[in-house]
Amino acid sequence: MTLIIGAVLLVTAVVVYLVQPMASGLYASLSREEDEPTELESRRRVALLALRDVEYDRATGKLGQEDYRTLRRELAAEALDALAAAEAETSLGADASPVEREIARLRSGLESGSTCGACGSANEATSRFCAYCGSPLGTAVRSGASPDGSGGDRAARPEPA
Amino acid sequence: MNILGELALWIALPVAIWGTVLAFVAGARQRGDLQLSAERSIYAVFFLTALASLGIIDSFLNDRFEYLYVASYSNRELQTYYKFAGLWSGQRGSLLFWLLFLMLFSTIAVWSNRRRNREFMPYVVGVLGSIASFFLIVLLFADVNPYERLGFTPANGQGLNPQLQNYWMTIHPPTLYLGFTAFTVPFAFAIAALLSGRLDSRWITLTRRWTLLSWFFLSNGIVFGMRWAYEELGWGGYWFWDPVENASLLPWLSATAFLHSVQIQENRGMLKVWNMSLVILTFLLTIFATFLTRSGLIESVHSFAQELRIAYIFLGFMSAIIAVGVVLVLWRLPRLRSENQIESFFSRESAFLFNNLILLGVLFAVWWGTMLPLLSEGLTGEKITVGPPFFNAVNIPIGLALLALTGIGPVIAWRRASKRNLKKNFTLPVLAGLAAAATLWVAGARHGMALATFAIAAFVMSVIVIEFFKGTRARAHIEQERWPRAFVHLIGRNRRRWGGYIVHAGVVVMFAGFAGEAFKSELRQTLDPGEVATVPSPIGHTYTLTYEGMSTTLAGANPIENVAWQVEALLRVEKEGRPAGTLTTARRALVAQEDVPTTEVDFRSSFLEDLYVILSDVADLRGALANEPEAQTVTFTFLVNPLVGWIWYGGMIVALGGLIAMWPGAPAGRARVPEPAALPARAPATAVTAS
Repeated sequence: MTLIIGAVLLVTAVVVYLVQPMASGLYASLSREEDEPTELESRRRVALLALRDVEYDRATGKLGQEDYRTLRRELAAEALDALAAAEAETSLGADASPVEREIARLRSGLESGSTCGACGSANEATSRFCAYCGSPLGTAVRSGASPDGSGGDRAARPEPA
Repeated sequence: MNILGELALWIALPVAIWGTVLAFVAGARQRGDLQLSAERSIYAVFFLTALASLGIIDSFLNDRFEYLYVASYSNRELQTYYKFAGLWSGQRGSLLFWLLFLMLFSTIAVWSNRRRNREFMPYVVGVLGSIASFFLIVLLFADVNPYERLGFTPANGQGLNPQLQNYWMTIHPPTLYLGFTAFTVPFAFAIAALLSGRLDSRWITLTRRWTLLSWFFLSNGIVFGMRWAYEELGWGGYWFWDPVENASLLPWLSATAFLHSVQIQENRGMLKVWNMSLVILTFLLTIFATFLTRSGLIESVHSFAQELRIAYIFLGFMSAIIAVGVVLVLWRLPRLRSENQIESFFSRESAFLFNNLILLGVLFAVWWGTMLPLLSEGLTGEKITVGPPFFNAVNIPIGLALLALTGIGPVIAWRRASKRNLKKNFTLPVLAGLAAAATLWVAGARHGMALATFAIAAFVMSVIVIEFFKGTRARAHIEQERWPRAFVHLIGRNRRRWGGYIVHAGVVVMFAGFAGEAFKSELRQTLDPGEVATVPSPIGHTYTLTYEGMSTTLAGANPIENVAWQVEALLRVEKEGRPAGTLTTARRALVAQEDVPTTEVDFRSSFLEDLYVILSDVADLRGALANEPEAQTVTFTFLVNPLVGWIWYGGMIVALGGLIAMWPGAPAGRARVPEPAALPARAPATAVTAS
């Protein structure tokens, strides 16, 4: 008898537990939560981590000076690209078309002087010439006067491992 | 308790199916309520499986021999903790045990992601639910229900195989099973990424962490198994290329390959299809390992099952995994395109690629050698078996190449490495390797493979030490820190890299331990009490062992260990004439299992070698048990196993490195995106919005 009561209780408890969400309108989220990194943020993060590795490889003598400069330039541009795209997404909303985002990204880069006016590639903010086509950069505002006072040419600091 | 447990198993199946169906529907229709119910079904199945497992343990503890499973693997005399371990002593229980761990990890995965990675979760829950359903179907319908009744209650059970009655029994199988089952989660995330089409970097991050966890348990489980074999099986070895040992090695090999190649994807956006395939392959191999162990298809010291029905069910399941994996990868092929190409043969990418090719080469060789008996019998009717010589001949050279790569990879830079830098970085380690080989040669070592192993080991070890040295120096310099502090921070800031190097160091130590076997010496000698055996150690000194005599134990004298009879020989050990303790080795049988005597070995471990004694034969066992003075003649096997201890030390270092690598940091939320110290600042985008 106890056994039957126990079994009935067990089955009832399980059924109630499973059916409750549908019956009382409880639900689990199915979309990205606010505090999670977006794909663009992850891309930037990956580029930054790779940059960290490059700095480490140079500091420990695995990378020659020339390779170091090339890799660093490429990765920094990648990170900047992702950052600009993320900012464009934030300002335009996630629904903006890729073309709109690209325009916003280019515009932001041109204003800061890091995007090349000739070929449209992203460069480091400190660059004076485009890494891709060699055209001079920085015809636009390059003073680096940012509202938060972080400055436009903060010295790059190697960060091993 | 036991009846409730049996009932719980039957309730769990519909709940698991319910969860599976609802999760997939929730994903397709974006219904949050259905998803919540599906997630609850995972928790519910975990609870029900735990009840079922408790029921089995309870039946073991209370000697409920009316259950076939309990009667087959226990008896009244069995010590309590082996009764507790009854849950995983045999096929039926261990399938339930597998399910229990699967549900434990599923619950952790679902719970820890209740506010994160929500787009993946319907499919993750769906995949986890379907695997749970599969195991429940197996348990309930494949003649392996642990709750199957005999129809009568025997007076006593058949007992647990005496060789399994070793404390490692309570440690090794659970660790290995944790490793097998933990890999289900990465697989579920991979399938979820394919199904949801969210193939960005996030699933890789999630998968990597879980893979590391699974890999950690697998590594430990394998080393524990080796130690168990060394202590208990009584042949003085630790690895026999037994099918079940191989089965646990296979997923470890592919998981190791994945842990390396995933770094190429993270850093360079390459090898996406390859990584996806490795995840699917590894999961497949965990199922394959369970299948090999628990279907009895291949003879092995581990396999006790003979039913074939379960084998077909498992084969069907594995075919389904392959089919689903292939179809999904082909479907998503356009979105798995590589973002970059390998730029140079001398780059870390290509070192990783070689590492993967080698690991898969070993994997194939081991799989082939394991499956050959079955395949040859199926195809030609003649069973061809290959033994340790085959595995050693194939795997030792490949393993050495792999070992060398662990030294080469970390020093080569990503994308391209210049010859000048290679020369600069490799000179010292190569010299260290050559010096090690030369020293050993001068000391008289002539075994080619072993010399090569020690040379490569010295090379890799010096690469790792130099890496740590340079990293610490760079950090101390840049951050103006003292060296010890810089060292700790260095590891803490990039735990994966430095934890990985520590794992490599452990592997190097283990390989040196394996190579030590090439120099082992063996002596078989028959002695009377008072006689002396002289055992030369390959390191140069000599052991003198005096057979002091025999002591016997009969039933009842040692009720704790349930010994039916035991003869134990005592040996006094002297090393170079100086006393070095005693060793005892015995032959014994347990109560109710008198027909399966076992040999209890003993060994004396030192840093460089183990002196290992085996009681090989008692000339007149009956006389010895009756304490007759003329029946004390005994044959011993004495082994000196050089460096065998390094395998265990190496295993501990591997575990430490694994722990460091997988130690969780702060959750990767937005706040965690690293401060771009190394990135030049740029004008903020507020300008864009303003314009």
